[in-house]
Amino acid sequence: MFDPKKLIRKGLPKGHFKDAAVRSLLAGVTYLVVIIAALLFGKIIVDGAPVLFKAEAPFVDFEFLTAKNETLHVFDDALGNRHQLPAAAYSAYLDKHPGEGIFNEQTFSYSGGGIAGPIVGTALLTIGSMILALFFGICAAIYLSEYAKQSPFIHAVRLAILNLAGIPSIVFGLFGFSVFVLAVPIITSTPADRSLLTFPLFFGNYFVSFQGWNSSLMAGCATLACMILPVIITASEESLRAVPQGFRDASLAMGATRWQTIRKCVLPFSLPGILTSSLLAITRVAGETAPIMFTAAVAAKDDLPWQGLKSPFDLLSSQVQALPYHIYTLAARIPSSEYTQRAQYGSVFVFLVLVAFLSAGSMILRSKLRAKLKW
Amino acid sequence: MSQEEISLSPSHHRFQKRGFSCEKAIKYFFASNAGLTIVILVLITIFLLKEGLGFFPGYQRELEVYRIAGLEFVDISRKNLTAQEQLTSVLNRAYYAEINGQAAREMKRSKEASALFNAYSEQTGPTRDLVVNNSQAASDPKSEMLAILKTNFEKQKVKALASLPATPHLEKNERADLIESIRTRAVDSTEDPPLVAALAAELAAAQEKYAVPLQGMRATIDSFSSAGSELSSLVSEMTESVTATKEKIQGADILEKDRKTLLAAAASAKDLAEREKLTSEATASLAEKPDVEGPIQRLMERRADCVKAHQALQKTTGGILAQLPENLRQPDARRLLKVARATWPLFIADLEKTPAAIHAWKYDAPVPLTAAISSFLTGKDWVTGGEWQDFYGILPLAAGSLMIALVALIIAIPSGIGAAVYVNQFASPREQGIIKPVIEFIQAIPSVVLGFIGILVFGTLLRDISTWDSLQWIPGFPIEERLNIFTAGCLLALMSIPTIFSLSEDAINNVPSAYAEASEALGASRFQTTFRVVVPAAFSGVLAAVLLGLGRVIGETMVVLLVAGNRIKIPDFSSGLSTFFQPCHTLTGIIAQELGEVPLGSVHYRALFVVGILLFAIVLAINATAHHFVNKMKH
Repeated sequence: MFDPKKLIRKGLPKGHFKDAAVRSLLAGVTYLVVIIAALLFGKIIVDGAPVLFKAEAPFVDFEFLTAKNETLHVFDDALGNRHQLPAAAYSAYLDKHPGEGIFNEQTFSYSGGGIAGPIVGTALLTIGSMILALFFGICAAIYLSEYAKQSPFIHAVRLAILNLAGIPSIVFGLFGFSVFVLAVPIITSTPADRSLLTFPLFFGNYFVSFQGWNSSLMAGCATLACMILPVIITASEESLRAVPQGFRDASLAMGATRWQTIRKCVLPFSLPGILTSSLLAITRVAGETAPIMFTAAVAAKDDLPWQGLKSPFDLLSSQVQALPYHIYTLAARIPSSEYTQRAQYGSVFVFLVLVAFLSAGSMILRSKLRAKLKW
Repeated sequence: MSQEEISLSPSHHRFQKRGFSCEKAIKYFFASNAGLTIVILVLITIFLLKEGLGFFPGYQRELEVYRIAGLEFVDISRKNLTAQEQLTSVLNRAYYAEINGQAAREMKRSKEASALFNAYSEQTGPTRDLVVNNSQAASDPKSEMLAILKTNFEKQKVKALASLPATPHLEKNERADLIESIRTRAVDSTEDPPLVAALAAELAAAQEKYAVPLQGMRATIDSFSSAGSELSSLVSEMTESVTATKEKIQGADILEKDRKTLLAAAASAKDLAEREKLTSEATASLAEKPDVEGPIQRLMERRADCVKAHQALQKTTGGILAQLPENLRQPDARRLLKVARATWPLFIADLEKTPAAIHAWKYDAPVPLTAAISSFLTGKDWVTGGEWQDFYGILPLAAGSLMIALVALIIAIPSGIGAAVYVNQFASPREQGIIKPVIEFIQAIPSVVLGFIGILVFGTLLRDISTWDSLQWIPGFPIEERLNIFTAGCLLALMSIPTIFSLSEDAINNVPSAYAEASEALGASRFQTTFRVVVPAAFSGVLAAVLLGLGRVIGETMVVLLVAGNRIKIPDFSSGLSTFFQPCHTLTGIIAQELGEVPLGSVHYRALFVVGILLFAIVLAINATAHHFVNKMKH
């Protein structure tokens, strides 16, 4: 009557094909995303790498990285040879060959020369904003993880961090524009009409005027720092909390004050983690365009940031070119043609390589850190 | 631990320093840094509101001027005129779609032949011009140069002939003939190659042939199109007079504002003489009250004419629909005709209502503040910098943002969640080691780079693919604009996949392993465990991931600014699924595009801040909901 053999099912289990189909569908979707991403980078690398690399030593075209950005002039000389010259070389050519005809001249803005200005500008913006954000962010994280108790204040801070993290970058652009460009105080001898509030200082003929810093490096750094602050705070707090409680208890038990404990027993162990996660924050700061569009970036600038300065303060109060904004300009404002491709794909390639290095560095450091720090 | 310490030590321990100490200073320093986040959030809110709230009174005044000057009155007629023009254009499009659809083969052949010839001319054009120009001034010293130029030209020619576009609809020998005729063509010839000309003639003949049965339709369309001419001349006449009135009122407004500034300066001036001077200046600049009554009365006298013109238009319009052909052969033409038929009753109803509206219109009816607010929130036009009247209606922008978000989420939700389930439940550690870093790297790509890829690579690719004959069954193909809702949606999907992926993966990972173990112990298969136990348990976390992805898509700026096409118009939903291939503009894009160009403090400038406030509120609401779900999962 009862045959135990009947209970053992032969062949493939029921629903095997359905399961396999679902599984391969999921795998297909996943790998589709991976492949599309790979194709896009492949396209950028194939088109962009020839701009930066060349066949003979030293294999890297440093001129593209170190030359200023200029307008590109494309023209035929009388013999039908095609020339592509950036603005400075173009005027030199005209001086050298006076009287000779130039035919079919075309000009392409922002497409000649290299991208030294945007690279330096982005570096300055990133450094400035990261200094600000790291300082304030780590201090805030220390408070949250070392001092804070349950209180309405802490609750409000956490809510603020959560909300700040979600605000769209263009709203940060509006905020930076209305606050740092138009409203923050500045010491000047000639207050502007639109100043919100002006009062004289006691010495000299100076006023404190709430008229903003104009579109400048300072304003851009401050805006970016505000944007990245919640990311830094969250990452730093996580690293601080990863330090075992025993370290603090031991230090306090030895009679150290709280500040001594933080300085000697908590910060040194969490600093690597904080810096690693801030590498990812750097990629975000360097890549953002919307917040700096109205607060710091300029499409064309003849001098590199440190040229033509009267005082170091001028560096902070002048506009800069920035790589993401430069890419935006190249993509949106000039038509694509065979002469602009070098500038377009070259800039994007350099930028992507930069971002790839930073994020790969962050990933590798993080995995090393995880392997090393096991308390 | 800090809690314990507090509870152990009484509030005034004898070893504890009283009052201010260094330790306390350090603590307050750190606390103030934590408070900075609150300060920033408050500052953002205050400054957005400060710049934004001035918008509504300013817009109210603009609408008031719009009414007082009589622009609104003219717009009543103008609206009908535009509707009539649009209907004419739809009918015209249907007419040409019918003809060209029947002559599709000739059309394609002619297009391909001229495309091939144009590609050749574009490449060799500049050199050819050089040769022609120099040979006209055929002086001797140049003959050597001319020879060089000619060899250059020949070289270019060979190069150009080697890289000609494909011509799938031309016969092989036709193509060969065409290329041969181009090769043997005289340098200074300005005529088209014979095949190009012949195909063009063929096309024209075909069009003429197919137009014969449609003569009735043509005549109907023409009579409808000319029916609006009376109204059109009336509107343009009135436009001139009301624009002049509006300018006067605006000039007076500016003077009045100046006067107030001067009076304010006078009130705060310390010096008596200074004060007198400023006050007298202020009185001198007192604007004459612009004469509004006169022009408005003259406008009112035109009411009868307006009504008459409308009635004439209505009379013609009523009969048109019956005269149109019952049905057309080509699917495109049929669709357009259907659209025209569907909108016809609405148009006639509008025309019927118009005389009453013209008589009911009052130039001195007040414009309340709520009118400005509702005109902003429900306005269908965002028109700025025009000579006629600026409108700030949010609907076209919100519609664009929503459509793009819809496309992005339709693509990103299945692929993001699917990838998360696969990586977490089925993938081997080695696969995880490949997939996770790649997706993490996608997250690190700056949005402007994605926009660049969209504008230079993906958009062009999509347009090329959409011209394939085998894909013509997809609605909207071939696409007209390479930058459209779909392109932007695809790129934003790529951007939000990492967010959705990593957060859903976390959520699935956080499901207690006891759930899965219990399920397997009960004899469930791996798939049953995954899809009936683990994923449902992680549901609220996955939902939060989707919402955060949505927040990211709505708030994204650079991709949509570069790729969405930036046409400020509510997408035309009547065209079905091909709506997704229309260009649009977005809430974020409009701020980025226009903030750099507007004068500080103008109504337009403030309007952009109101858009910012709206965006801020939307994204905060989405994020709050998402965090609600995250917390639900934790408990």
